[in-house]
Amino acid sequence: MTQFLQQLINGLSIGSVYALMAVGYSLVYSIMNFSNFAHGGVIMFGAYFGFFYLTLFRLPFTVALLGAAISTSILAIIIERTAYKPLRNRKAPFLYFIICAMGMSIFLENIIIALPFIGPTFRTYPEIFSKTPIKIGSLAIGRLDLLMFIISSICLGLLVYFIDFTKIGKAIQATSYNIKASALMGINTDFIIITVFALGGFFAGIAGVLFGMKYTVYPQIGVITNKSFIAAVFGGLGSLPGAVIGSILLGIIETFTSGYVSSQYRDLIAFVLLIAILVIRPRGLMGKLNEDKA
Amino acid sequence: MYKKVISLLLISFLTFSLFSSCNQKSAESNNTIKVGWMGSLTGDQAVWGQCELNTVKMLFEEINAKGGVLGKKLEVIGYDTKGDPQEAVNVAKRLTTQDKVVTILGPNQSGSAIPIAPVLEASKVPDIATVATNPKVTVINGKVKLYNFRVCFIDPYQGAVAAGYAADILKVKSAAILYDVGDDYSQGLTQFFEETFTKKGGKIVAKEGFKSGDVDFRPQLSKIKASNPEIIFMPYFFKEVALSSNQARELGITVTLIGGDGWPSDQLLQMAKNAVEGSYFVNHLDFNDPEVQDFKARYKNKYGKEVELNGYLVHDAVLMLVDALKRTGEPNPEKIAKALEETNIKGITGTIKIGKNTHNPEGKEAAIIKIVDGKYIFQQKYTPQ
Repeated sequence: MTQFLQQLINGLSIGSVYALMAVGYSLVYSIMNFSNFAHGGVIMFGAYFGFFYLTLFRLPFTVALLGAAISTSILAIIIERTAYKPLRNRKAPFLYFIICAMGMSIFLENIIIALPFIGPTFRTYPEIFSKTPIKIGSLAIGRLDLLMFIISSICLGLLVYFIDFTKIGKAIQATSYNIKASALMGINTDFIIITVFALGGFFAGIAGVLFGMKYTVYPQIGVITNKSFIAAVFGGLGSLPGAVIGSILLGIIETFTSGYVSSQYRDLIAFVLLIAILVIRPRGLMGKLNEDKA
Repeated sequence: MYKKVISLLLISFLTFSLFSSCNQKSAESNNTIKVGWMGSLTGDQAVWGQCELNTVKMLFEEINAKGGVLGKKLEVIGYDTKGDPQEAVNVAKRLTTQDKVVTILGPNQSGSAIPIAPVLEASKVPDIATVATNPKVTVINGKVKLYNFRVCFIDPYQGAVAAGYAADILKVKSAAILYDVGDDYSQGLTQFFEETFTKKGGKIVAKEGFKSGDVDFRPQLSKIKASNPEIIFMPYFFKEVALSSNQARELGITVTLIGGDGWPSDQLLQMAKNAVEGSYFVNHLDFNDPEVQDFKARYKNKYGKEVELNGYLVHDAVLMLVDALKRTGEPNPEKIAKALEETNIKGITGTIKIGKNTHNPEGKEAAIIKIVDGKYIFQQKYTPQ
């Protein structure tokens, strides 16, 4: 029983990391209808921004976290302006967007390696929160895990509020229904797209800092974000609650497979399940076709 | 459009011819002996690769300042394998066919050292691997590979040392293993640890795997915790060691950890100083051995950094090569390979006497190191019975 609960906690904690990352994929997909693989690179940059704000400028944690999130927002906007906007202007097919995004993600990874003051070695965040876990009986809950869970929940809550209750949020919803019709109704879709990238970038920054704190910072962080992309598909691309639920489920499935079957079958079972869900329900768990997407 | 295509083609031709003419020039100069090096300059093990290449450069400079070898200067051509076996094969091809090196030093990983054998055989250029400890690096199906050599001891030995030390000296009866399922090195150590430990009457109570690139090991560790081992064997590299040992302590696992030569690194102590306190690992040498102090100081003096484990081994690989060159009297790769088989020199990591049928240094002792107060403290030299 203890082991079951401990594994459940492990799964929730891994899932909440995926969730923060998956939201960015879903946001962009809901508007632009393509998978922005550059998101992984932006998360990696977020981890580095946070690391340098904390170690080089010695900023307090909250300032560094926000600073990293704002920096990655700007980075995401720059990526959109330089890489995707020219394609949009030329009305390029979606495949081109995906290829461009992949290229961008490889570019981001390699530019970090090429920068002389960063380079390929991995780095460790300074210890901000104690590593001794909170004990409940023989259960251990990491302080950082708890913090991540709380920060993720706050961020996701704010995002839902923003999308459901503000004017820009409504405009984002409208744009995700039908980008052409919204433009005809007087919504500045270009601005909406920038907002969505900025939001995605903001989450990427927070996810990057939290990931870097929990594990390490290295140029290949993007590889982990592939898992969160899969979680987003699992939950239904374009649906925010779907991305969160998909991520948490993936985290739990992975942990339980490792814990009760065999760690070697972890990815096998998780992905067989993924394919099965997509075959039975192609739009994912919560995805809705042609309906409310954001 | 046509014009654009044509001009692009022309430009690419021009750049190509520029490069190729450069290559020819350097091939013509007869006053240098070109030596290849390969290893990770990027990726998880970049720290080690950079240290190896730095060491080779430093040693060559020192040798050249004293007049070189056979009256010629030594020149190193180093390429990055990114820790990727496929890239290692490409690099080996480039070094042997394009740069025409006489010998290759490195790589440090078994995963990269194993697949380059066919390239070496085709071009008849020998390779001296540094920390590639898998048996298959030099011997496959009971037959020795003619052009593969190494300066380090092998996994069976390392796994057996760890298991023997745990069972005979630390007197533990049950062990758990966490290992990387996708890595030859990790699998090799695991297999031989298991064999030796069970032969000595111990019991493996849990054996859990993970995949390279994983950062979270808590599911596996929770399972290991439930099996109540007296020691956990962690045969993989320092980054994962740091992450998994931190996570193990977080889950309330307090038992001793033991590992192999993938452990020693300054980064391990930076990341997981408290978690690995009191742990043991098998190493190629004792960092405080008087024999290595001179080299250690020279390296620190030149690069301002501590030398990593790989530096010591590539140092001895260079000694092996220079010794072989002196005995052959000419920079001919095939003759160097023959001469390497007769190597019997004293390196800073111990006596290196290459076995003809194994191409491994025979009878090299292992050092057992314990981490105490964030320092690597030498315990004893150990050979398993």
